[in-house]
Amino acid sequence: MFNSPQNFEPQLAPAFFARGPSPLARLAFFSALSLVLMATDSRIQYLSAARANLMVLLHPLQMIANTPSQLYHFTSEYFTTHHHLLNDNQKLKQEALIQKFALQRLASLELENTNLRSLLEANQTLTEVSKLAEIMRVGSDPFTKKIIVNRGSNHEVITGAAVVDANGVIGQITRVYPSSSEITLITDKSLTIPIQIERNGLRAIAFGNGRDNTLTLPFLPANVDIKQGDRLITSGIDGVYPAGLAVAIVKAIKINPDSPFARIVCAPAGGVENHRQVLIVNLTQSTTQDKPTKAKKPKSANKVKNNPSSASKPNAHN
Amino acid sequence: MRTTDLKSIYLSLLAAFIFTLLPWAGVGLLLRPDFVLLTLIFWILRAPHQCNIGTAWFMGLWVDLATGGIFGQYALAYTATSFVAVIYQRRLVLFNNMQQLVYVLALLIISQLVLLTLKTFAGNESLGWVYFVPSLTGVFLWQAAIILGLNTGKYSRSN
Repeated sequence: MFNSPQNFEPQLAPAFFARGPSPLARLAFFSALSLVLMATDSRIQYLSAARANLMVLLHPLQMIANTPSQLYHFTSEYFTTHHHLLNDNQKLKQEALIQKFALQRLASLELENTNLRSLLEANQTLTEVSKLAEIMRVGSDPFTKKIIVNRGSNHEVITGAAVVDANGVIGQITRVYPSSSEITLITDKSLTIPIQIERNGLRAIAFGNGRDNTLTLPFLPANVDIKQGDRLITSGIDGVYPAGLAVAIVKAIKINPDSPFARIVCAPAGGVENHRQVLIVNLTQSTTQDKPTKAKKPKSANKVKNNPSSASKPNAHN
Repeated sequence: MRTTDLKSIYLSLLAAFIFTLLPWAGVGLLLRPDFVLLTLIFWILRAPHQCNIGTAWFMGLWVDLATGGIFGQYALAYTATSFVAVIYQRRLVLFNNMQQLVYVLALLIISQLVLLTLKTFAGNESLGWVYFVPSLTGVFLWQAAIILGLNTGKYSRSN
């Protein structure tokens, strides 16, 4: 009796069984709408304001969704043993001691560095502001590596800021909403990060691999001086990431005789996928010599006073 | 004759959406079924007057927002899937349980294929066969729901 839907459709027509537009019409309408949305969103970036507003609506839902895991963490923290806490405390004290010692030297080194830089008239400032943020949600799209954290434009987070953890860079802020922001991890396919090999200072650009939680260094010649275990650090020449942060460690170098390029696979140094807190680092003044047009307008808040040509990028501020 | 009201449809869709928003990670993310789409298919089969292609599109927009991808990807995938579900809705409620499961699997795979196509256009690399695991877990969830007493068939048969 129901041989095919084509035979069956006309029976839906009588007015007292009215079903509105036919499924095909609805399909055409809503598909067209989706396609228009996709084109607008990917090409014109016209929808970012709408997206930010909708994210405000999404925020309470997100809080509800996070409640069970927070409750779990809370209870498991509540029931940790005394012994465990004592151990932790001791470990942290030792770490703090070592880090205090390093910090003492850092202050004097920073001073020395600024002096030397001003002598050389090198235009690079090292002032950065960092904020602690907590991960609200891991991006649920298996194709992209993104996380959402609970700090947004209300907390003066800006697009492009670097995100680090205790061991190294983990990503970059790509979208800012009022009370949350989206971090694209360095392993995402769309993220690139300028790096330097710590051992010999060789500069390159690391690309996220998109899967397997790795990065690759393409376009390096097959005879390049890289060894397994080399540490990659940020070069700082992009004005986005502070210089000298650990990015990744070289895991494997594959040389294919057919290709002039080596295939270099690296594992991220930071715990890209295993933290609840991250640090957002804004470079408040990034001054580079390749922007001569902006060098004419020095800001009054500029920290490097003895540097005549220093200026700040206008959009580095909120 | 009609026992479902709009409130229960939208509340269940909201619940499914919150399930999607739970902090899934690692293996959980790989296994996570598409709760929203399953709920949509359920309502489209059971109450096509209240839940139709438009509802699917609207929910797709919210999922798009939550995933942070380009607007309209999930919306298009859900629209296409619900279209297939709507066309065969009359027939589907006469299916027995096994046939219905296969059909739901097909619907879930259609949605994933549309998404895969869109993502590939956007320049993403393929994830391999693991990508289709959520469809299988979705079918398991569907079966679990049937065992727990959710009924897709009887109400629709009366119209």
